[in-house]
Amino acid sequence: MQKNIATLFDKTRAMASLTGDKLSSAFNKETHRFTITGLSRSGKSMLFTSLITMLKSRSEEGYACLPLLRYLPPSQVLDMRIEPIEGYKPFPHLQNITDLENGQWPKATEEAFGFKLVVRLKETASLKRHVLPHSDVVFEFIDYPGEWVTDIPMLSKTYAHWSDSAWAQLSSGPQQYFASQWKAFVNQFDFEQEPTEQRIKLLVNAYRDYLIDAKANGISLLQPGSFLLESSDFDWQAFGFTPLPSSITSDVSHPWFKIFDKHFSKFQSRWLTPLKQSIFKETDKQIILVDLFEGLNHSRQHLYQLKETLSHLADTFVYGQSTWFSRNVLKKEQIGKVAFVATKSDLVPVSQRANLLSLLTQITEGARARFDDKPIQFEHFLVSSMQVTDDGSNEDAIRYQDTDGRYVESMFEPIPSTLKEMEEGSHFPVPDVSVPSDFKARILAGKGVDRLLQFLLGKGEQE
Amino acid sequence: MSDKPYKFDESPEPTRPSTLKNNGFGEQDGTAYSEYASQQRDQYDDQLNKTTADDGNDYQDGEPMHKSGSVNKPQYKTKVKTQTLDIAQPKTKLPQQVSEDVWEVDVNKEGISLGAATLGFGVVSLIGFFVFEAYTTLAANVSEHPIGTGVLGALLVGFVSCFSFLSFKEWRGYKQVNTAMEDAGVIRNLLVNKRNETSPQKIDRVLSQHGKRFSRGSYAAHCFDRYKQQLQDDMTGPERLGLYEDTVLKPVQDKAHKVLNKESVTAGSLAFISPNNLIQTFAVIWISFRTIRRMARVYGLRPSTAGNWKLLKVLAQNIAAQGVFDLATDEVANQIGGSLSAKFMENSAEAIAAGALNARLGRALIKLLK
Repeated sequence: MQKNIATLFDKTRAMASLTGDKLSSAFNKETHRFTITGLSRSGKSMLFTSLITMLKSRSEEGYACLPLLRYLPPSQVLDMRIEPIEGYKPFPHLQNITDLENGQWPKATEEAFGFKLVVRLKETASLKRHVLPHSDVVFEFIDYPGEWVTDIPMLSKTYAHWSDSAWAQLSSGPQQYFASQWKAFVNQFDFEQEPTEQRIKLLVNAYRDYLIDAKANGISLLQPGSFLLESSDFDWQAFGFTPLPSSITSDVSHPWFKIFDKHFSKFQSRWLTPLKQSIFKETDKQIILVDLFEGLNHSRQHLYQLKETLSHLADTFVYGQSTWFSRNVLKKEQIGKVAFVATKSDLVPVSQRANLLSLLTQITEGARARFDDKPIQFEHFLVSSMQVTDDGSNEDAIRYQDTDGRYVESMFEPIPSTLKEMEEGSHFPVPDVSVPSDFKARILAGKGVDRLLQFLLGKGEQE
Repeated sequence: MSDKPYKFDESPEPTRPSTLKNNGFGEQDGTAYSEYASQQRDQYDDQLNKTTADDGNDYQDGEPMHKSGSVNKPQYKTKVKTQTLDIAQPKTKLPQQVSEDVWEVDVNKEGISLGAATLGFGVVSLIGFFVFEAYTTLAANVSEHPIGTGVLGALLVGFVSCFSFLSFKEWRGYKQVNTAMEDAGVIRNLLVNKRNETSPQKIDRVLSQHGKRFSRGSYAAHCFDRYKQQLQDDMTGPERLGLYEDTVLKPVQDKAHKVLNKESVTAGSLAFISPNNLIQTFAVIWISFRTIRRMARVYGLRPSTAGNWKLLKVLAQNIAAQGVFDLATDEVANQIGGSLSAKFMENSAEAIAAGALNARLGRALIKLLK
């Protein structure tokens, strides 16, 4: 009899616990969808890799990292797991770690990846913990090639409009040098001949060659960026197009205009529209990564161009804080918090980071102007996903191991705090840092990620 | 951090080789474009030769100037100077693991404590005097006892010294509590005005001073070590304060409440099993002092035994309240008869009262020390 009662009691308790777990999973779930936007080489993949490593090490191994992340107190974290997102390939976190172990930086993203980080938190409220013993905080991250981002603003343009603006862009600024061969090619091209498949390919490949060359030389405003990647689903070989001189785009009956206009429409409807719908709209928090070194490495003009590109990028998103109704009933997400992040901040000495932050603030001016009249919270951050440098012999120096295996010290002149201060004809070459062998400890020593997450997760307070 | 190694060079990153040859061109197309590009290069190189001969423009070696005859490749002056060091890169340590919070109130002390030494010296001196007395009695006629007198003198000096040092420590403990309370006031003000930008140096100074006062081996010192390990050079003043709050103030407070709960339960249990009021009063006094000592171990501040009048006042009030409660429960028990259930009820009520009074003492202590 006593045994039966005990069994019954155990069963009831197990059932209650199971029900509590299920109830918790169903009702105590908080989902945050992050879209990390950044131009190519802005450090998106490395940031994701570090983020997963930091959160896993913090919750599973108890390492005291991310000290400013108060939203997820280590004492309350029960476990953390990674789950795939339907419709996306899983993020190659383990592959990236293997690459780091082999002394290589993670490969650049060439297709969209998605993953969920589910952090299970212990319920601390005395009464609630018996009914709902835990709560899940779900982070959904989408990683996609930076090259795709620059193409989204093309959605709102006609072919003629885009062609004219692209032609004007490649005739000015630092890209004019790299575009001169392409322009010479166009000038010699016989547009009187019919646009056959082979002739179109010839023109598109010549333009693509310019895009590749310019990208390698720090030019950020390159459209269509999707043509740079073989992995893009759009068949640019068959439906390619290029900007054309205004003498052709002004004549709507010109056969080259007609064919490129048709291809441009296909590019918009078959590639950009689904891309924007699947990736860019379903988000409530946006991180815009900016690689200031791409500009500092080259010239003031590159920095101005970066500012312009970011300004165009801001058109990509629907800004405005989503309400419970729009989120749960209309299933419509709008971005409520935006973080502008300068990555690789460990590559400048600590003494120069205030200037770097000030420069970042100026670079984002155009993008921020887009949500001036909207209830958007925004903040600027300096982040290093991995602390690869050490303090130098003085406050303006850093030390690091270069790709030749030498331990070197770089002494920096003051980084300009505004675009105006960037001396014409001078640049700040980016240190060619190798992957340190103690990369895990250096990931955990990374700075700014906790501050960034706390801002995005915090309930409205300015951290 | 970079996800691609950059070239550290005086010039911007080198041009990536064109992928035209591998980009899926039809053989015919590729050839057509290559031919065109080759012609262009020849043409521009010819132009370049002419240009350099004419105006002596300084182009980079090995850079075919096929881009343009009119637009020069930009040249930049570097603002970074690099030198090779003859040392190896230091290894970065993994951060401290904090998953196991193993700190306990009572730790096994190694060696002999100062209190025990004092007692020991006292006892030895006493015994020594007795022995000396006996020795002098036995050897009344011996006028010189240099060794015995020396040893006994040394023991006495030790006892007096240790006793003096103990007294000094008591006085310092008392002073320390007052200073720590002043520090706590400054930290409270900083926390209240967290949004006002206070310099990180000032905050560091205040927090370090506060941290230094924590006694070695205490929970607060353990938390303060953790705070120092997590501190990063780029943290702002408010972030430092927030981190201090998260890693020191809150955990210490939580631990203090846990210890207090445990002590209150012990106080209640002792009151429940005490056979008479005298033993009960002694038990309450003992557990009260133990609570003070254990809580002090959590906060890292030891209010001196004779130092903190406020705590003693609370303790005295507690004992008085316990006495009054005893009388009341005795009276109630007499009224309802001297049965076992009445005794049980009386003891239960006294246990609850003892627990509550101990909790009151603990709360007063937390208020003083937090």
